Amino acid sequence: MSDEVATDGGAVVESEEPASGGSGGSALSRLRERDDFVVVASAAALVVFPFLLVDVLGAVGDVIGLSIGGYTGLPSLVLIYGIIVIGFNLLLGYTGLLSFGHAAFFGSAAYSAALFSQIVPSPLLMVVVGTLVATLLAWPIGFVSIRRSGVYFAVLTLTFGQALYFYALGPGSWLTNGDNGFSNIEADGLFLGALPFDAQLTPLPILDSYTVMYGFAAIAMLVAIWVGNRIINSPYGLIFEALGENEERVEFVGLNVFRYKLMAFVISAIFAGVGGALFVIHEQYIHPTTGLYWIQSGDFVIMTVLGGTGSLVGPVFGALVFEYVANVVSGVSLPAIGSIGSLWRFVLGAVFVTIVWVFPRGIYGAFADLAALVNGGGGEGGDSTDPAATDGGERE
Amino acid sequence: MLLQSEIASILLNGLQQGAIYALLGIGLTIILGTMEFLNLAHGALYLVGAYVGLIVFQETTLSNGFLYSAGITSIGFEGGFLAAIVLVPIVGFGLGLLMERFVAEPFYDRPETDQLLVTFGLALIVEETVKNVIGGNTFQSIAPSTLFGVNVSQPIQLPFVGLFPSWRLLIIVITFLVIGVTYLAIERTDFGLVVQAGTRDSEMVRLLGIKINRSYSLVFALGAALAAFAGLIGASIQTVSPQIGTDQALIPAFLTIVVGGAGSVRGAIAGGMVLGLIISAMTQTYSQWAQIVLYLFVALMLVFRPEGLFGTGEVGE
Repeated sequence: MSDEVATDGGAVVESEEPASGGSGGSALSRLRERDDFVVVASAAALVVFPFLLVDVLGAVGDVIGLSIGGYTGLPSLVLIYGIIVIGFNLLLGYTGLLSFGHAAFFGSAAYSAALFSQIVPSPLLMVVVGTLVATLLAWPIGFVSIRRSGVYFAVLTLTFGQALYFYALGPGSWLTNGDNGFSNIEADGLFLGALPFDAQLTPLPILDSYTVMYGFAAIAMLVAIWVGNRIINSPYGLIFEALGENEERVEFVGLNVFRYKLMAFVISAIFAGVGGALFVIHEQYIHPTTGLYWIQSGDFVIMTVLGGTGSLVGPVFGALVFEYVANVVSGVSLPAIGSIGSLWRFVLGAVFVTIVWVFPRGIYGAFADLAALVNGGGGEGGDSTDPAATDGGERE
Repeated sequence: MLLQSEIASILLNGLQQGAIYALLGIGLTIILGTMEFLNLAHGALYLVGAYVGLIVFQETTLSNGFLYSAGITSIGFEGGFLAAIVLVPIVGFGLGLLMERFVAEPFYDRPETDQLLVTFGLALIVEETVKNVIGGNTFQSIAPSTLFGVNVSQPIQLPFVGLFPSWRLLIIVITFLVIGVTYLAIERTDFGLVVQAGTRDSEMVRLLGIKINRSYSLVFALGAALAAFAGLIGASIQTVSPQIGTDQALIPAFLTIVVGGAGSVRGAIAGGMVLGLIISAMTQTYSQWAQIVLYLFVALMLVFRPEGLFGTGEVGE
């Protein structure tokens, strides 16, 4: 499906002005827009990410006496949600459409991947089938929802998502197993089962967070970053951005607004579908509340806004913070306060409100601003965004 | 073929559920209409109303409550629920004032997605606060057994309907009274005139020398009080748990104003009734499909009549 997106963007290039690719700027900012640079830099970050997240934080935690190292499954989970929010941000951050129904695509992909695994437990096919189902579902839902804007769009996507949730819970339980969902979903592993997903990639026992599952998710993440980067740096993506800024103007230029909004919606659903299928492979269960309930859509919104909607990989930081707080911080027991436990969502809500209020561009945007400030206040546009990249690299 | 009594009970249950939806919808719609502010924390106010009602009811009525331990065993006519009826809207009103001042006001000039996001976060905070302070467990509904000395726990015999719980009948009366008073306040008073004018063109109202900012606070607080009151009524017929804020209040309230038309009080009442009747009819016939039919009805409504039953199709788009 990624090819289709890329060629679609290419087709538009011919009818548009060809030189509109980027903002110009310095050599460095041009470099940052190049596909191969972005992919190589992301790959480097993905290689060190589990080590930093699990082992280094674990060692720090041993010193200060708190278990902040996280569990070995966390890096893959972050990547899975990262893929979803990269797509979600194409819709929210670039096209300016706030969907409260993306759990529908996540969940339908997860369910269809789970069902498909009972016939053929091939992980690649599970991802393909899940993504396909999510795409086919996104088309009619998008076709109807896109006709309205603003709140009405949010409510429409929410109603479709909730209708699907209640269908899975009630009348559809012959297919979805109702309230119980599916558990113990087994995917074969890569290379016809030669590499099971919980096997380690390295023989070194200290690097136990580098599992086959992580490698699989990391490759999917690289593809997602590559596709996302291709889209936002193409004229097609520029139209998304223009739609987010002023829809009327885009219409006056003579472009078919409806078609571009629908494509943005479907593309974001494709990302959510990939993430849903990967989620099932990783967690080995799916349940209506996890997969289809509207709070799941809300979580995508939180991650995206937390990370920052202004850049391609910004939302991934949001996914990192969200999943880290949900899985690690919630288990931490502080000396004075005691166990954090279910307080994590409260803390998250407070952080979320603060971010929306004070840093509308999210964590990533705040870091970019901070880096620009440290770098000597009113530096040039190209200079001020450059440190943000290295900063982000260090955090990963 | 449905029996006559079944149809009658569908209608009555629909009216009762619809009245709760209408209460929620009116609150949401006047805030949306007047300030063009989208309050995703509306359900949180319902949640607060339900829990405040629960606590007031327990503390004043039950034998383990505060009043009982203070030596007062009865405050006359089983006053616990009456006390809640008075206190809950006041709490809601106060919360509404605070929300308008500290949450809504800084966001009037921000994009509507920011408004959605910040109130969504606020709803999360309220729900989690309730979970952490009171616990995530479910409480039984808090219907009083007697009110004004009248026994309301027994079903009564109605013409055409047969036996119908008298408490539910009383709820219909009480909620319709509140809806009626609110409607009159908005349609017939000077305050309502300002609110309505503000819905059309708030800039013009300000130019006429009317302090619309104070009206904003009042509208917000009124909407919040209605939501809290709806929470109390809801808690008297359904179990109370931290999820009800979104499941039973926020989403139905949005659906209500979508059906009725954003910014219209009449629309919210009509929308609430339509949705209440759909839910009631589906629950009694094909209960598994009730929610799905409700959502699909609203989706169809949005596609074919986006301005709603009474809306102008301008607010919030």
